[in-house]
Amino acid sequence: MTPPPHPRRERRSPEIPDTEAADPERLYVITGGPDGTERAPLDLVTMIVAREPASPTVPPEQAAIVRLCRAPLSVAEISAYLSLPFSVVTALLTELLATELVESRAPIVRAALPDRSLLEAVMHGLQKL
Amino acid sequence: MVRDEIPPKDQESAVARVLVIPVLLTAAVTVGTASLVTESARIPLICYGVAATVVVAWYARALHRRAAAARAVHEGYARRIARLERRLTEQDEATVRLGKELMPVAVHRLRQGESPAEVMRAVVDGDERYRGLPDAQRSLLLSVLDLADDEDAMRESAQRAFVNIARRVQAIVHQQASELRAMEEAHGRNPEVFDDLLRIDHGTALIGRLADSITVLGKARPSRQWPKPVPLFSVLRGAMSRILEYQRVDLHSIAKVAVVGTAVEPLIHACAELLDNATRYSPPQTRVHVTAVEVQTGIAIEIEDGGVSLSEEARRRAERMLAQAQLGLGLKDLGDTPRLGMAVVGRLCQMHNLQVSLRQSAYGGVRAVLIVPHDIITTGPAPGIAHGIGAAALPRAADDLPTKDVLRPANRKPRPVTGPRRTVPLPAGMDDDVPVVTEWTENGLPQRRSRGRAPLGSHNLGAARYGAGSSSSEWQGGSSDVGHRGDTRGPTAAGGPAAGSVNGHASAGPDRLNGNETGRVRGPDHGDGTAAGTTGPVPPGAGSMTGAGFQAPDGRPGPGIWLEAFTKAVNGTPHEPSTGTPSTGTGEVAGQPGDQGDSDDTWGKGDLK
Repeated sequence: MTPPPHPRRERRSPEIPDTEAADPERLYVITGGPDGTERAPLDLVTMIVAREPASPTVPPEQAAIVRLCRAPLSVAEISAYLSLPFSVVTALLTELLATELVESRAPIVRAALPDRSLLEAVMHGLQKL
Repeated sequence: MVRDEIPPKDQESAVARVLVIPVLLTAAVTVGTASLVTESARIPLICYGVAATVVVAWYARALHRRAAAARAVHEGYARRIARLERRLTEQDEATVRLGKELMPVAVHRLRQGESPAEVMRAVVDGDERYRGLPDAQRSLLLSVLDLADDEDAMRESAQRAFVNIARRVQAIVHQQASELRAMEEAHGRNPEVFDDLLRIDHGTALIGRLADSITVLGKARPSRQWPKPVPLFSVLRGAMSRILEYQRVDLHSIAKVAVVGTAVEPLIHACAELLDNATRYSPPQTRVHVTAVEVQTGIAIEIEDGGVSLSEEARRRAERMLAQAQLGLGLKDLGDTPRLGMAVVGRLCQMHNLQVSLRQSAYGGVRAVLIVPHDIITTGPAPGIAHGIGAAALPRAADDLPTKDVLRPANRKPRPVTGPRRTVPLPAGMDDDVPVVTEWTENGLPQRRSRGRAPLGSHNLGAARYGAGSSSSEWQGGSSDVGHRGDTRGPTAAGGPAAGSVNGHASAGPDRLNGNETGRVRGPDHGDGTAAGTTGPVPPGAGSMTGAGFQAPDGRPGPGIWLEAFTKAVNGTPHEPSTGTPSTGTGEVAGQPGDQGDSDDTWGKGDLK
């Protein structure tokens, strides 16, 4: 079972040395390890907002998240800004949520929105008035 | 032990003494007997007496002569013995000199890299004391030197072989690490795969450290090079990432300095070995505390564990290991069960002028203090303090960036309002809480800051204000992207190469969502913010400057627009083209340069401190 080649990886490959040259630390140090990390149920579109400013003892990535999230920001955006994979960001956010430095806000579920046909029906009904 | 020679006069008198007593005695007996005996017997008696006296005298003289001869022979022997003994002593001295002076000097010079023949020339022929060295000793010395030379060459080639293999392992490990990094990013959204990748990544890092240790002990330079200064925090976390139980390490109050590129790898390695020692020899539930403070001579990195105390004997052994390694330690000194750690640390300290000492910790464990000298510390700007931020927060290369004008985010048509309209203008107090987009990254990403903490739920307002201009363009990707030169649909068709690059970034579309190379947010370059803010955007249709900005509290865009755009981008829903609504400005608020100048505490900059 060979996974299909990932197009993004091919695109990234010339940049790898550059990225490598910039960070001596590996991702597992940032997340605190792959073992036993319960991830909060976060989605790419979950909105994150900071509750209070980070204290100096907070690790830099988490502090950066707190600073970024002074205005609400989605997990995907945080991931992009920090150049960290989604799983790393969720692990960091899980810790932040546990220490109550940030809070998450579930995105508006699409299914919960009224159906388009319903809206159109309403619109037509209104137009007929 | 030369015997005293008897002086000749005494010898003569001794001869006379020896002769006189028996002769006189015999003569006296003869005379006495002749006076007693009768006349007739007197003549023969005297004759016999004289004869006896003569015989005695002759014997006495002969005796004496033989004694003298014996003495002479004796003396000859004594002289010979003395001469032989003197030569023996000289020989001893020569041997001692050869062993204790000549040989060490020669071997030392050999170790300095001279060939045996050169050493012979310099040591033996060049020194007048040794110039007359016998041929035998000369050849002995030469053969010893040859042997030592051969052995050196053999050890060196063995070491080179070790280092060579270690280098190959390192190359594979580095390759694998970068591939793993790419995989981690590719599978970042799948937590299970991601965790497995992290585990493999960790194991790879451990292999890499072992290979690095062999390289260091082989007296080779570390293979990894860091072109730019790296913050100490990252260095220490890099060290953490190379040990088994990195979760037990706590970093406290790390001095905000950076390490120059050439010293990064050795420092990471030395710290990794010390951390490994600390975690290995302390109970698994205890933590290892690391601090780095500035001291007079540089930076002191303290690694303290709560393990068993190092006994005085063990401490001495460890320090001896360190000292030995600093003097130069070969692979042969490591023994059967190599304890590489201290040897590696000592070697690295010697190579890079670090100082290390092991003391008893206040917690009862061991406290290792590593003093990093000033000359490998820089306080200049380093690329970020931590991982992703460091990689992303600075301009990758300031000179190849497009100019600021090109960088201005594209003008944008407002999207149809989908949420409830806000009819009441914002209260003044809330205005301040709305994040203001003051800067744009080179990729066209907005960089926000808010003057205060945004209350929960206010994001819709804020998002509506700048959302149409900034984030929606980002997340909608090419479908809604608008070239700032008036090109409404095709991002790549925007005029000018620089504009093309901007759009090219922005048009990556939904697949950017989990990519990590998005969001290369430019950090400290705050001059851009003001420059960009002063120029108005160009609406696609009109081609005239509106310059209005979207700060004016007209309340046109409703909440939820940004979120919808985002959701669409995530789900890949094609964006319906907006319906001819006149464009609002997308640029920043003009005319706030002072505000932008001094209050820019954006996270990118903050990290640099």
